[in-house]
Amino acid sequence: MKTFLSVFWLSLAPLFSWADDGAAAYQRGDYAQAVELWQSQAQQEGVHADLLSALGNAEWKLGRKGRAILCWERALLLNPRDPVALAGLHHAQGVGGTDRPLPTWTETYASFMTADTWLLLGTLSFWVAVYCIVVPRLKRQPSTDLNERILLLSITLLVLTIPGLWGAHTNAQRAVIKQGEISLRLTPTKLGEPIQATSEGDVVRTDRKFNGHVRVITAEGKAGWVRADEIEPIWGAGLPGTYSDATSAP
Amino acid sequence: MKYCLLILVALTAILPLAAEDQVSWNTTPAIAGPGQPFRLQVHIESDVVLGAAERVVKELKPPRGMALRFSGQLYRSNTTEATLNFSGVAPEEEGTFVIPSFNIRFTAKVVKIPEITLHVSSTTGFRKSSQARAELSLPERTYYVGERIPGVIHLLSSEQETVTGSVGLECEAEGFSYYFNGPPKNTDQGMDLLFELTPTRTGNGEIIFNGSMFLQSENSFLTTGRDRPYTFRQRFRVEHVPEEGRPADWTGGIGKFTAESVHVSNAKPEVGEPIKLTAVLTGIGNLERILPPEIVGGDVWEVLPASERRRRAEEERMFVYSIIPRLPGKQTTPAIKFSTFDPSTKKFTRLEFPVQSVTVTGTAPAKVDLVSIDPAAPANQETKAKLPDLMPPQVHQQAGVKVILPLAASPKFWATNAVLIISTTILLCLSLLSGYLLLHPEIILFYRARRHVQQAQRQAQAAQQKGASQAFATAIVSGLRAGVGALLRAEPQALTQGDILRILPEADPVLLDRIFREADGEKFGGRVTNQLLTDAPKALELLQKVKAQL
Repeated sequence: MKTFLSVFWLSLAPLFSWADDGAAAYQRGDYAQAVELWQSQAQQEGVHADLLSALGNAEWKLGRKGRAILCWERALLLNPRDPVALAGLHHAQGVGGTDRPLPTWTETYASFMTADTWLLLGTLSFWVAVYCIVVPRLKRQPSTDLNERILLLSITLLVLTIPGLWGAHTNAQRAVIKQGEISLRLTPTKLGEPIQATSEGDVVRTDRKFNGHVRVITAEGKAGWVRADEIEPIWGAGLPGTYSDATSAP
Repeated sequence: MKYCLLILVALTAILPLAAEDQVSWNTTPAIAGPGQPFRLQVHIESDVVLGAAERVVKELKPPRGMALRFSGQLYRSNTTEATLNFSGVAPEEEGTFVIPSFNIRFTAKVVKIPEITLHVSSTTGFRKSSQARAELSLPERTYYVGERIPGVIHLLSSEQETVTGSVGLECEAEGFSYYFNGPPKNTDQGMDLLFELTPTRTGNGEIIFNGSMFLQSENSFLTTGRDRPYTFRQRFRVEHVPEEGRPADWTGGIGKFTAESVHVSNAKPEVGEPIKLTAVLTGIGNLERILPPEIVGGDVWEVLPASERRRRAEEERMFVYSIIPRLPGKQTTPAIKFSTFDPSTKKFTRLEFPVQSVTVTGTAPAKVDLVSIDPAAPANQETKAKLPDLMPPQVHQQAGVKVILPLAASPKFWATNAVLIISTTILLCLSLLSGYLLLHPEIILFYRARRHVQQAQRQAQAAQQKGASQAFATAIVSGLRAGVGALLRAEPQALTQGDILRILPEADPVLLDRIFREADGEKFGGRVTNQLLTDAPKALELLQKVKAQL
């Protein structure tokens, strides 16, 4: 048993070592090293909210706004109340000059739980309501008082989850501008007339796709087209894509 | 007298109009083999001095597969006769080919040549391999607007004929621009004529190539020179490069290209020192039409627009960028990447030049923080609340995910729900149906009775055909009892004629009595034999009436 425990702890040791080493590198200001260590950890173990928000901080310190915002936004998808990610986004909007669309009331409502929790809750309440209606009919017996109460409760819960589901859906429609000096174009073509400049790290709402372009709406409400490879959706791979130039720490 | 003179003048004026030109023609050989060269001679006798023939070629429209060129006129001055020679090559297929009627413009008048017929047959013994020939090499596929299609016409010598030259190569193709790549190139087998085509609009059509080659025939006695025409026709279809799946970074390249090389003019520049980044693209395609790909410098590089160079002979294209480093340290040059379209596979391919490592020396310019204080604010006012700062991260050990995807994007989740919905709906429907049937038992009762009556009808008809009177009566009684039993909610076997009459009051009691006696008579006494079949239709009608009530 002792042997088993020692082997188990030894196998876990590298994981803790990555996390600790990353935090240590961050503490001493070696953000590039911290990013490398946390990225290795993410590739091995997968990502979670803490790791993504920490990675976002390090990326921000390295001046890679797009990747940082994407990390924080993804951290919020996994934990909508992650304090580090929320602070990072506030900081980016206040000091960094990035734009982020104001959340609608449904999005604010949806931020109480993750999108998956909303969906599970909605599905569960739907099925409970359905079976509260169906089961007495199948048994050819009158509905009991308890059955009526459960039905009422589940329908109430279902109604309450609808705004949450809608907010989670609109949240999923957002993307982050990957590069600086990207212009919103009037038409979905390479030579489309530029109508507004965006900067790296700006969060936009996405709409339909056409001709390799995506129609987006900025935080200011301006709508235009950008190339599909100029943005990265918030939902997606665990780590941001390798789009940013490998800049060293400033 | 005056009238006689007028008539004479009028007749004199009409006489030339009435006169007809005599046109005759002959081909040598009279019957040509497939692909065999032939000579056409047209002889014209007129009433005026004809002079020289002009613009013969323009009106000559040989049939498909046949090459025909005007090769000269036997000219004698001050004669009313003319002989024109044409050289041609017969089509590759057997049959009769008609050269449509055409006009020849002489100095004096226009003469219409009637249709000329050429017979082509493989029985002539012509051996094609002994003749010099021309072959077209042009890809047979869908073409795309803007692409460069290289083609070759091979002029191939034979054992007896040597190709010595080429003349008058023309290309007729609407919606194409064409370019002949200089003089013919001598090869081991003869000559090659290189050309390039570029489609300029979409559509279907036919490309026609016409030309002549000079030949030298050698035999044991003498050496003679001659010309021989050739013609090619090839159907084509031109489309735009497909929009579906077209990458955003496609810059107009159609063909097969290779990212040949990339290099920088200085691998150790200082901050702010411009260097040249040169990328060389090679391949077969419309190199000259590719727009230089845009590169993104980001924070490290400042990129100036690209200049470009192309050398047609070397089939290469160079993109030269001026890039200026902004930050010191080990840096990599911006990536040069774009997509091209391969017309043979109809797919887009991504081309990427490798990035180059550069060591930038010097120091970065100092960063200037933006002032966020309102300049119009009073001097002694304290600064507002401090802007939010980053929180120190804390990474706890917990389970991670490789890809952040919502449950809503999971097909398994929705498939499970769909299965649940379908099974619940089926269960509910079955439950409702069984409940309804329990409330209305007559539905099943009538259904079964109807089936029983139908079966009895079939048995009765079979018995009628066999002439089995008792079996007929038994089937009728069985059917009547089953149907009436369902209607009266009674056991069929317990029913009598009186019960039948309650449901069928209009039935003939005598007939009913005979049926029952025929069926059950043996149980209770004698039975009437072989009398019932005469009234079989009436008996069957009774069954039909019962069935109608079910």
